[in-house]
Amino acid sequence: MVDKKVVKALARVVGRQNVLTEPADLLLYSYDSSTARGMPGAVVLPASTEEVSGVVKVCARHRIPFVARGAGTNLSGGSAPIRGGVVIALARMNRVLEIDVENQRAVVEPGVVNLDLQNVLAPDGLQFCPDPASQKVSTLGGNVAENAGGPHCLKYGVTANHVLGLTVVLPSGEVRRFGSKVEGTPGYDLVGLFVGSEGTFGIATEMVLRLRPLPESAQIVVAFFDSLEAAGEAVSRIIAARMVPAALEIMDRATIEAVEASFPSGLPTDVEAVLLIELDGLKEALDRQAERCAAICRELKARSVEIGRTSEEQERLWNARRSAFGATARISPEMLVNDATVPRTRLPEVLRQIQEVERKSGLRIAKIFHAGDGNLHSNIMFDRDDPEGLHRAESAAAEIFRIAAGVGGTITGEHGVGAEKPGFMRLIYSPEDIEAQRKVREVFDPQGLANPGKVLPERETAGAKEEGAAE
Amino acid sequence: MSGLSTALWRLESIVGEEDLLTETQAVSEHRLEGQQPVAVARPGSAQEAAALLQAASEEKLSVLVRGAGKHLHLGSPPGPIGVVVSMGRLGRIVEYDADDLTVTAEAGMSLGGLQEVVGKQGQMLALDPPGPESATLGGIAATSLSGPMRMRCGTPRDLVLGLRVALTDGTVVKTGGKTVKNVAGYELNKLFVGSLGTLGAICELTLRLAPLPEGRAMVMAALSPSEAEEVAARLAGSRLELTSFEVANQVACERMLGALPVTVTPDCYVIFLGLMGDGEAIARQEREARELVSGGCARVDGEEADGIWRRLREAAYPSAREAVVVRASVPVARVGETVKMVSSWEGWWVVAWAGEGVVYAGPPEGDDLSEIGGKLLQLRSKAEEGGGFAILESGPVELKREFPVWGAETANADLMRSLKESFDPAGIMGCGRFVPGL
Repeated sequence: MVDKKVVKALARVVGRQNVLTEPADLLLYSYDSSTARGMPGAVVLPASTEEVSGVVKVCARHRIPFVARGAGTNLSGGSAPIRGGVVIALARMNRVLEIDVENQRAVVEPGVVNLDLQNVLAPDGLQFCPDPASQKVSTLGGNVAENAGGPHCLKYGVTANHVLGLTVVLPSGEVRRFGSKVEGTPGYDLVGLFVGSEGTFGIATEMVLRLRPLPESAQIVVAFFDSLEAAGEAVSRIIAARMVPAALEIMDRATIEAVEASFPSGLPTDVEAVLLIELDGLKEALDRQAERCAAICRELKARSVEIGRTSEEQERLWNARRSAFGATARISPEMLVNDATVPRTRLPEVLRQIQEVERKSGLRIAKIFHAGDGNLHSNIMFDRDDPEGLHRAESAAAEIFRIAAGVGGTITGEHGVGAEKPGFMRLIYSPEDIEAQRKVREVFDPQGLANPGKVLPERETAGAKEEGAAE
Repeated sequence: MSGLSTALWRLESIVGEEDLLTETQAVSEHRLEGQQPVAVARPGSAQEAAALLQAASEEKLSVLVRGAGKHLHLGSPPGPIGVVVSMGRLGRIVEYDADDLTVTAEAGMSLGGLQEVVGKQGQMLALDPPGPESATLGGIAATSLSGPMRMRCGTPRDLVLGLRVALTDGTVVKTGGKTVKNVAGYELNKLFVGSLGTLGAICELTLRLAPLPEGRAMVMAALSPSEAEEVAARLAGSRLELTSFEVANQVACERMLGALPVTVTPDCYVIFLGLMGDGEAIARQEREARELVSGGCARVDGEEADGIWRRLREAAYPSAREAVVVRASVPVARVGETVKMVSSWEGWWVVAWAGEGVVYAGPPEGDDLSEIGGKLLQLRSKAEEGGGFAILESGPVELKREFPVWGAETANADLMRSLKESFDPAGIMGCGRFVPGL
């Protein structure tokens, strides 16, 4: 609970009706899509940059931690107030401020939902490239804070490649502008540094985004395999053949079964893997590339390969892919998600090792991955009624992080470190590497109030050491 | 004096006698804009580089990190230079598995050297900054320069996946990683890329590669000013997948681009459309480009296209020591008016990466410095109107002293200075070449 005086001060900034303090309301903001939990003392709903600044100033004055929140789809605990304090919910700041078609830029507020922006842009033949699977709900502010990915990163890059300017409320409450519509402002790249800082450098209240023309056409190739490894090999060969598809996605059998059980899409449930290849660009180039991809899959004994579906069919397949997370969650109410990422060539051996983890832990792990990027989503299903359930799932996740780190990969490709993974940062970074990151955080947030407990491990705590460094 | 000799002794004990140059003749080759370094050190490893920076920091010797020295003309005139840390010995490929489409190389490796290695596997680093290919990877990252291809492929900030950086506290830190997607921790890559050696020394880079295109072609047309503007507008609304889109004025064509397959007439602009891809895709785009331009076009491909591509890059690079080159960045929709403004100045050349809003320009030889400075300020205020900026990339020291190289003021300078102080508390890195205070 925050002090009555603080509630009053917050109410003076945003109005009493935009400060929530009832336990039932607070509960709604105590979690996100991860396993992290924490009860906030108050929730505020500001409507402008000035209000966000005012709220943050109140927090800074009273030394109260604050956590910015969009749609709460975060998969690493980034938006859960694990240290209490004030949740700053940005849902009311959902205006698209400008679509500058000529310069291919959009200026938006953080509460705009990713897909809503895409729908506004499509009539002008434009898109914002990052397309996280959560795009129907997740907000652009969250996408920027997390440096979100999505299936099309393979060709178009991650969020950081598409953000050029930011209005930021620093943890002191001060309002700053970083960058502009024009890339490369002299000085350090504060925009690049801010994107992906998971709410620990401040709160972005306006964002200038790079837009790209929608591709002229797209084509999907789907191949069904009797082994996961063969699907992985197909990905390697496609890349080696000098093609860069817009997306290369693999779903394993457990995922296919989950999708078919919840959102039937006509996928066969007796195959070990389905590989979804999306090619986009000029019509002329696509037919031949699709043929080449199909030939590669056939060489690898794909059970069947289909190309050239209609756009309705393409949409259906993509929906199957995008619904995979929700579908898996329906089968197993409790699920621990991770997104370890490895150099693409190490995928086959990593898959073997994860299957081994599955066997040893006795837990079912649904694997779905942006294979072109080596970005693996291992959805570990467990039973919360089993007192050991979460613990066993966490041990399996830890094992997967170690496997990824061992082959030169990383512990998170797009979900963020959040509250769940700071302890594992030591698997991939030395104490000096982490200190360098801490220095930057302290420049932005010397008081340590912006989303505390996230991203970096605590200095010298025994707990974190146990988690990360025990090998 | 004894302080200095202790310092030099320390540096020598790190790299060895052979790789610490203090002889007048040797160090005078590293003279930069009137400043002669006390010593030149050539580290043989990232650890040695870090030890050098730590010693320099403790001995209060200022440090200028350099690669092949191809972009030392950038930036404000340096203050006193203590030691030049020259990365030339760090020139190896550290790790390259072509199927990963990434490569890890040491900072002293040249761009050309890397292109040769990855080219054998049908890949390329999609960066074509102005200047020679002997420029090093570390230098390209530190300057964050990019060329015509950035329209399709991005800039160093988009292609650097990971770094190893030597810091002034003697540590070598890793930033980022080896995968395209990586959100573990803060994006420190972005802090070091473009920081012009003011925070540490980049020793190793992991870079994202791209497949070499099956073919390359360039479509060109010489247009009147009004035609050029119409074509640019039509291009912006088209779905052509251009790799690059440049515009050059008559002076630039005649002075720098050599023989072109189009007829350059007074006051015309030549546009260059770069196309990459397979034969059919190029053929179709060429067809559409011709329709868009609706006039006489010329098309070249293969080596001839590469040749013109190279000349465009070179045009933006100072043709001689102290030659004046200004780079303005403006919103794409303002390229036309910016290019026109510069072309209205007697004898000025201009080459723009029009698809990206980058405008390079320079005065005729022998122009008066205060005249040039006045034009720089005009160009700068034009750029700033649209949220852009203009940098004096190269020029005589007197010009750089008189007219601020990076702009009148830097937004968020206080935050940047705090970042600088965190990594370089003694303030030894960069010798004052970057924006004031960094």
